[in-house]
Amino acid sequence: MSDAILEIENFSGGFMSPAGEYNQVLHDVGYCLPRGAMTAVVGETGSGKSITALAVLGLQAPTFRHRTGSIRFDGTEMLNLDARGLRDIRGSRISMVFQDARAALNPVFSIGRQLADTWMLHNGGSRAAAMDKAVDALRQVHIPEPERRARQYPHEFSGGMAQRAMIAMAALICTPELLILDEPTTGLDVTTQADIMELIVDLAQSRGLTVCLITHDLGVVAETCDHVVVMNKGCVVETGTTEQIFTAPQDAYTRKLLAASLLTEYSA
Amino acid sequence: MKTYPANYPIVQVRGLKKLFPVGGGRKLHAIDGVDFDLQPGRTLALVGESGSGKSTVARCIVRLLEPTDGDVVVHGNSVRPLNPVRMATMYRTLQMVFQDPNASLNPRMTVRKVLEEPLKLHLSMTQDERNARLSELVTLVGLGEEHLARYPHELSGGQRQRIGIARAISINPEVVLLDEPTASLDVSVRGQILDLLKRIQRELNLAYLFISHDLQVVRHVADEVAVMYLGQIVERGPTAEIFDNPRHPYTRALMSAAPVARYGVKRERLRLAGEISTPVDPPPACRLSGRCPIEQPVCSQQRMPLEPINETHSVACPFSDRVAEAVAPPVPAAKAG
Repeated sequence: MSDAILEIENFSGGFMSPAGEYNQVLHDVGYCLPRGAMTAVVGETGSGKSITALAVLGLQAPTFRHRTGSIRFDGTEMLNLDARGLRDIRGSRISMVFQDARAALNPVFSIGRQLADTWMLHNGGSRAAAMDKAVDALRQVHIPEPERRARQYPHEFSGGMAQRAMIAMAALICTPELLILDEPTTGLDVTTQADIMELIVDLAQSRGLTVCLITHDLGVVAETCDHVVVMNKGCVVETGTTEQIFTAPQDAYTRKLLAASLLTEYSA
Repeated sequence: MKTYPANYPIVQVRGLKKLFPVGGGRKLHAIDGVDFDLQPGRTLALVGESGSGKSTVARCIVRLLEPTDGDVVVHGNSVRPLNPVRMATMYRTLQMVFQDPNASLNPRMTVRKVLEEPLKLHLSMTQDERNARLSELVTLVGLGEEHLARYPHELSGGQRQRIGIARAISINPEVVLLDEPTASLDVSVRGQILDLLKRIQRELNLAYLFISHDLQVVRHVADEVAVMYLGQIVERGPTAEIFDNPRHPYTRALMSAAPVARYGVKRERLRLAGEISTPVDPPPACRLSGRCPIEQPVCSQQRMPLEPINETHSVACPFSDRVAEAVAPPVPAAKAG
């Protein structure tokens, strides 16, 4: 696949215990993210979906050791990059949204300030201009009264509003080619969840973003994504288009996961 | 297992209110006049989004919170005022399962200790009888006797929730309040726990109050559904009717936002304007006023009580017959015109 923005091949790794024992958790993980498409990585707790994505940005836990494989972003081998090389890619070319936005934002700075700082870090310019950019980004993610909201702190935002602010930062203040969303709607109410997903789809389409959506919620995936990667116990068990995965799943685990999501009986 | 006449209400909740003072003489109306019955062998689901007051209802029933007003009647006896003796009697009937089994099991107690405590508190059993009951309980929830010696951290999330359920049913209650019992579990474990709960309900003829924000789960387990919004029940009826023919605009907005794990399903969403309004000193108006797509002038001038539209289905909206024409129905297959 030449038109993949990110290619992960035979990626294996694990954690070192304090006693120095190595426990392998990822086994030859491989998938690619086609440029301009939305790809979902689905799986249950412990399937390795988040660790793999964090490893792309060099954000894995300090006890994580990678053993084999490669992660190529637009032709660049990410695993060989030093801190400086990673910094040049993080935010400006690949950015990430985490599950709990209120925990991801800094509690002691106003929302506007955090967005403006991020803008200045990547683009320079005056604080006033950066602040205008921040307010504009908040407006584009449909936060009402963006001027007033920009002066507020994360604790004054609801979970859904904070996630909108995070998306503004990750997708609009940073202008990445690849946006990785790690469980962006988990813990939000269904109506808020549906609004956030609509926002993500809108932004992805209008800006030609490549999106990687990490989630355990197959309902969200069915409606929004083009491709699906199913992971279980540190392995990729099946990949395909959303239609293939949902209408003709080949792997037994995929079928089990689908049945469990719909609460229907599973028949092999 | 006791048997009761049909439709016998073990628990009757009447006009339940819980107001929290928030300073300056203002009050947060967490629950604002809620009524329902719980019947043996049946499941009533309370659904709603965060802040709707559904967990507060359960906490007021078991008196982890003191209700501001209203009554909870258990077997015909009001539980207010509640002295320690009557509290103990009430807990023989009413038990609760909490959302997060990591937080609701004492990390320093083995499973045996966790399950033994209610037996010692409520029942006069010999040690032999208790041991027999313990092995019966772990088997009932699909675990083995080897789990009795373990600590909570040695169990998986699903196993921990099984212990939470075993603890709740250990003294043979008649009513179990389940506060988001599957919210912290993976989907494959979720199904197993729901099957377990259904089996236990059948075997012990339990009444369930099932609190959940997961509509898929509610549809699977509930006989009746009550939809809460800002401390009030806005719609109540049989599960199939609430899901297939929701009549309150809020219910319809909620149903239409829930994703389905099927390919090619496109939702017609009913969108409510703005964000949820504040529960602090709400005006005497429909709680949805200002957000509702079929709002009429009268909606902002008076409260909308829950009115029956047929024998089993009640809606707190006098304009509920306009809901269907104002917006597309939630299930695309049934989309008309």
